[in-house]
Amino acid sequence: MTGKEEPKEVRKYLQQSHDRIFENNKKWAEEMQKKNPAFFKDLSAGQSPEYLWIGCSDSRIPAEAITGLDPGEMFIHRNIANLVCNVDLNVMAVVNYAVRHLKVKHIVVCGHYGCGGVKAAMTPKDMGLLNPWLRNIRDVYRLHQAELDKITDEAKKYDRLVELNVYEQCRNIIKTAAVQQCWAENEYPVVHGWVFGFADGLLKDLKFDHEGQLKEIQKIYDLTKDA
Amino acid sequence: MGTSYIATDPLDYILAGNRAYQQRTTKRDPNAFALLAQGQAPEILWIGCADSRIPETTVCHCKPGEIFVHRNIANTVHADDLNAASVVEYAVTHLRVNQVVVCGHTKCGGANAALGDADLGQTLNMWLHPVRELRRKHKFELEGLPDDDARAAKIAELNVQQSIEVLKQHPAVKRAANERGLTLHGLIYDIGAGELKILSESGSKKMNGLWTPP
Ligand SMILES: [Zn+2]
Ligand SMILES: [Zn+2]
Repeated sequence: MTGKEEPKEVRKYLQQSHDRIFENNKKWAEEMQKKNPAFFKDLSAGQSPEYLWIGCSDSRIPAEAITGLDPGEMFIHRNIANLVCNVDLNVMAVVNYAVRHLKVKHIVVCGHYGCGGVKAAMTPKDMGLLNPWLRNIRDVYRLHQAELDKITDEAKKYDRLVELNVYEQCRNIIKTAAVQQCWAENEYPVVHGWVFGFADGLLKDLKFDHEGQLKEIQKIYDLTKDA
Repeated sequence: MGTSYIATDPLDYILAGNRAYQQRTTKRDPNAFALLAQGQAPEILWIGCADSRIPETTVCHCKPGEIFVHRNIANTVHADDLNAASVVEYAVTHLRVNQVVVCGHTKCGGANAALGDADLGQTLNMWLHPVRELRRKHKFELEGLPDDDARAAKIAELNVQQSIEVLKQHPAVKRAANERGLTLHGLIYDIGAGELKILSESGSKKMNGLWTPP
């Protein structure tokens, strides 16, 4: 698209890309059915995923595809720059449902190098409606300013901020009552921080120390006891 | 895919899955990741349920890079939710997607929970409140349906329509709809069949589930 087409052409083009999704979906459903005739019937019975994935909305990181998981295996929340904000009812509802109702065993926060959200937050510019959301990433920068200011290479600094953002979001998940209470009772879920790299298509484990961090965090944010 | 990597540790399982994905992708196209690293230009923003059974890119047989994604409990868009609003702003204003899709589904735990008033904890009660309001508003219509599965499916539909109404008020959506023909679409994914269906609202000028700006 060049952006200069006649309105009618634009319509036709939109309709085509829209139709493609439906054709593709039919193809996929037929393939799955052929591989396993009971596939959709089994899924219909319910879900019991082991993982909750909190990732970026970025189109290049479809969580299930890059981890090789089948439908039914991973519960998913995706937002701009994989943030877990404490006043955000949206993500808190997801964490609550996954932990308290589905009893997931692992929570993965997955960031990615080259994240547009993180980049935008490093730009000294008014981003309008996005300001409050991106502000959380600027706060991550402030928390780790000493380390980040020392990195002179801009690309490396940006990569490191992506990693530190994941790390802080892992800490934010541990600060929830749902995770602390479920852990006290069952010793799960375990929180993990990962980063996806386009350079090699691989996931990098940041080796987030769940138990150590939990202990550290509970000095101030202890919500284990029920009201 | 999934079941072929039987490892004892569930994390090794997905890391192994990732290595297989990486090798498969590189074999098909040695430049695949180099191309992805250059940036994204998705055509579609998908707002779907967090439910594990509907991986949008897989279900639509699309490639990484084609669909920008927001997924939450019961694919709900609230007017005062900054999380979803930020995703919409980024996708529409900055990435200039051409279509926004809201996809609900059958057998949705959120829609099902909205059929009653069971206490799910304060956080979830609050999140699902608008969906439960939909149930109250459409009481008679819902009571006429044969069973809870049908009622949950109807709630899922009503909820998709409501989310689309909220999206129409988003400043970026309004602007893009008028200036460059951005369209909104309501879909329902049938889990038991693996199939996507377009929702069309009755009595309006919509065709094929497309919403046209006034
Ligand atoms: Zn990103
Ligand atoms: Zn659902």
